[in-house]
Amino acid sequence: MIYEILILIIPLIAMGFYKNIKITSIIAAIIEMFLLIPLYFNLSDSGFFFIDHITYIFILMVSSIYLMSLIYSRKYIHNVKNKGISENVYYMLMGFFYVAMEFALMVNNYGFMWVGIETTTISSALLLITEKSDISLEATWRYIIIVSAGVTFAFISVILIYYAFGTLTVTVILSKGIKDSLAVRLAVGIALVGFGTKVGVFPVHTWLPDAHSEAPAPVSAMFSGVLLPVALYVLYRIYEIYPMREVFVWAGTISVLFAAIFLGYQKNYKRMFAYSTMENMNIALIGLSTFTFAGLVGSLLLLLSHSFGKAGAFYSSGNVYEMSGTKSIDGVGGLIRNKASAASMLLSSFAVTGTPPFGTFFGEFLILYSVLSIHFYAQFGIIVLSLFLAFVSINFNVSKMLFRGKSEYSQSGINTAIPLIAAIISVFIGIVFLVVYHEIL
Amino acid sequence: MNIVFTVIYLLAALIVVTGFYIQSNKYLRSMVMTQAFQSFLIALIAILLGIELKQYTFFILAVLVILLRSFLVTYFLAAKIPKNKNYLYESKLPTTYYLLVDLAFIVVSIFIVYSISFIHIVSRIFPESNIILFPMLLFFQGLFIIASRRRTIAQILGYIEEENSLILMGTFILPVPIIIESSVFLDVLILVVIFSIISIEKTEHKPVEELRG
Amino acid sequence: MLELILETLSQYLFVVLFSPLLIGIFEKFKANVESRRGPSIFQPYYDIFKLLKKETVITENSSRLFLYAPYMAFGIYSLIALIIPVFMTKPIIFTASGDFFAGAILFSLAAFIKIIGTMDSGSNFSSMGASRLMSFNFFSEGTLITVFFAVALISGTNNPYTTNHYLISHPLSNLSLVHIFAVFAFFMIFMYEFGKMPTQSEGNQEMGMIDSGIDYEYSGKALAVNKWSSYMKVYLLGSVLINVFLIPWGMFNTFPLFFLNAIVMFGKWIFLIIIVLIVDTSLAKLRLFKVIDYLAVAFTFSILFLILTEVIA
Repeated sequence: MIYEILILIIPLIAMGFYKNIKITSIIAAIIEMFLLIPLYFNLSDSGFFFIDHITYIFILMVSSIYLMSLIYSRKYIHNVKNKGISENVYYMLMGFFYVAMEFALMVNNYGFMWVGIETTTISSALLLITEKSDISLEATWRYIIIVSAGVTFAFISVILIYYAFGTLTVTVILSKGIKDSLAVRLAVGIALVGFGTKVGVFPVHTWLPDAHSEAPAPVSAMFSGVLLPVALYVLYRIYEIYPMREVFVWAGTISVLFAAIFLGYQKNYKRMFAYSTMENMNIALIGLSTFTFAGLVGSLLLLLSHSFGKAGAFYSSGNVYEMSGTKSIDGVGGLIRNKASAASMLLSSFAVTGTPPFGTFFGEFLILYSVLSIHFYAQFGIIVLSLFLAFVSINFNVSKMLFRGKSEYSQSGINTAIPLIAAIISVFIGIVFLVVYHEIL
Repeated sequence: MNIVFTVIYLLAALIVVTGFYIQSNKYLRSMVMTQAFQSFLIALIAILLGIELKQYTFFILAVLVILLRSFLVTYFLAAKIPKNKNYLYESKLPTTYYLLVDLAFIVVSIFIVYSISFIHIVSRIFPESNIILFPMLLFFQGLFIIASRRRTIAQILGYIEEENSLILMGTFILPVPIIIESSVFLDVLILVVIFSIISIEKTEHKPVEELRG
Repeated sequence: MLELILETLSQYLFVVLFSPLLIGIFEKFKANVESRRGPSIFQPYYDIFKLLKKETVITENSSRLFLYAPYMAFGIYSLIALIIPVFMTKPIIFTASGDFFAGAILFSLAAFIKIIGTMDSGSNFSSMGASRLMSFNFFSEGTLITVFFAVALISGTNNPYTTNHYLISHPLSNLSLVHIFAVFAFFMIFMYEFGKMPTQSEGNQEMGMIDSGIDYEYSGKALAVNKWSSYMKVYLLGSVLINVFLIPWGMFNTFPLFFLNAIVMFGKWIFLIIIVLIVDTSLAKLRLFKVIDYLAVAFTFSILFLILTEVIA
């Protein structure tokens, strides 16, 4: 109990030192990382907080990406020319954003989970106008209105859960076992559309590329690395009440297919990575929806590895944007001359497309295995095809950026270490996870 | 079927009518004020229920609705209506178009969503009635406003209407704990504040070339 | 049998003879409200008699359709007068020939015949009026039909007489949501068909001419018949509004007593005229292009609450 409260409160205390928030928030984030160790030995399965091993992996993801984003922000945000919000406000909103995500993960109540998800929207909305332009204002507004409307829809699901069970406590509801009634089925189905808006399920994903491409790089990394997984976690907790396999797997499959198609004609590398996030999230959704152990392990592995890889990808995109001043793929070339940026870009692009040594590959492999094990052959075919398409389009575009042209970029004043670290962690964390998952799950 | 129920039923229908009024209206100020009136009607329903069922949470709900929706949100929004006369109007399309497309949208959605599934959800407050239909109607109206309007303030009105419908639905099906419900209000309030920050520079939303595909 | 014939005749004659008087009363009342003396309440009769005595002039290009259309329309309105409860509240001879739905369709048919008749004259003014009328009727007739459906759904039948009885015996149905909104939509349509504010359809200015455009090329007997059938249309719609929707009570249907219905209907109509008068004198006229919005609102209400009945019931 005490560790959860500490995790929620320390970033808020750090905000108290508003003048020095740049430093205090990083200190707070480091303390949070250390708090995760005692938290692991004090998991809670009743009361106000509900943390099992699955939740713990998500919390680990959120904390580490938050820390990396903060460190990366120090230089990046400082260099932004036309700021929509001041630097201190930026760090404060990041803190709120982080706390909202941790809250949504840890609470033992579907209603508060909804509150947490809604709070992430509100606290992160203004982060999008850090690099202020007419387009980023438009993207912010789309993000707010589409995601809020979608998450509002999910509130119906909360009402229906309360209607069906008379309580909103997650542990109580899950301990009752699978209950089949119309209200429950409706609740789960509506949650797919409602929280699915935030996860990036196909027809309601439209905010995702806009927000990711216009947000500053550390915020994009937070969005795609952890915000979407958090929404997916909440969706999974609701899915556990009554697993509607067919519906969820099909929704995920179609989303993956469309993400792969959209990836084919992207001209903006940040949008390209945004669609890649959509693809990975939906594969994870499929893995969780198969409701098998292999699927679960695969999804967690994919999410964990992807969050670092995608954070690396967005940090490198941020560097490329800072160096070249354009977000267009064709506008960038000859990146190979800048060794550190090129390496991080290439590694993270391999990481998010599921190239063998990375954790994402093993995750996708396990998920595909679990799809086959429940005899969903049509879906299997579509997913494999989409994965292939996505792999080709992303790596083709990235190699264009790296090897074509002879542009020279200056790397001065740019944080090249963090993207590389994030990409390298992505390699190891998959292997580490595969070794220890028997212990921690 | 007692008299309180009949009154609530009629009030719920009136709320749907206000939704249509917002939909067909072209003047921003009048839209904002109708929103305040709509929220007031919801508060009225909550008070009536509170008296009928003798539950104090409904009174809290009513006070919250009136305080936050009818006054604060309305105040923020009304302050943000552009003073320039050209921007007073929301749209130049004919009312008939909005009414008919809205009608078609609602009828189709209700037939799909309501009559297939929600008709089996029995209201705990009013068993043996189909009062859940009204919040559903309002919900789809809110969605349609968001989809059909371009001005920021009109879209946020659609969103508020949607949240209003949720409160109404929660009230009718089974009131969820007040602490969760009240977060719905704060949510809108903060959103309106964010809106007022953004709307300083951007009051209209059109397809943008950079955000395609 | 004799009784039945007597009832039928009295209903028909009442409709035909009483309808111009209502317009006269309305005009007189309106003049009084506007502090004028106004014409006599029998002025519509004088107009009709005067026109009947005059000769009919026909344009060169017109066919016989132009000449016969007013009579056909008059005949159709006469048929409607026999199948809906506008005077008697029990079935009479021709009642079996149609129901509510048939009534609504017949209204449309009459409007259609009037329009093709007037189009036949080839006059620009007439075709302008006709095209306006057609674009508005698109909504008004749709509303009329859906409103009748809504009532049919409340009472479980589309026989107007049964509906009338049902509403008399179930007073609470009059307070049901569907009924209230059906009344609202129907009243809007009635105001439109009556041609009063906010959608004034009479008038000599070009922009306001909707109904007048139809009569533009007619003269003499044909014009008289045309006007008379317009009066009948108003009476029929108004009586449906009164007898089926607003105040279904107070009608007699036994043999000697039913003559009292004349007085009852007169009283009810005075009540309706006062309502119309209040609306008419307190509202400003809508622009011509706004009329369609007005009708769209009525249509929206009728459809929406038709759906509500379907879903709720």
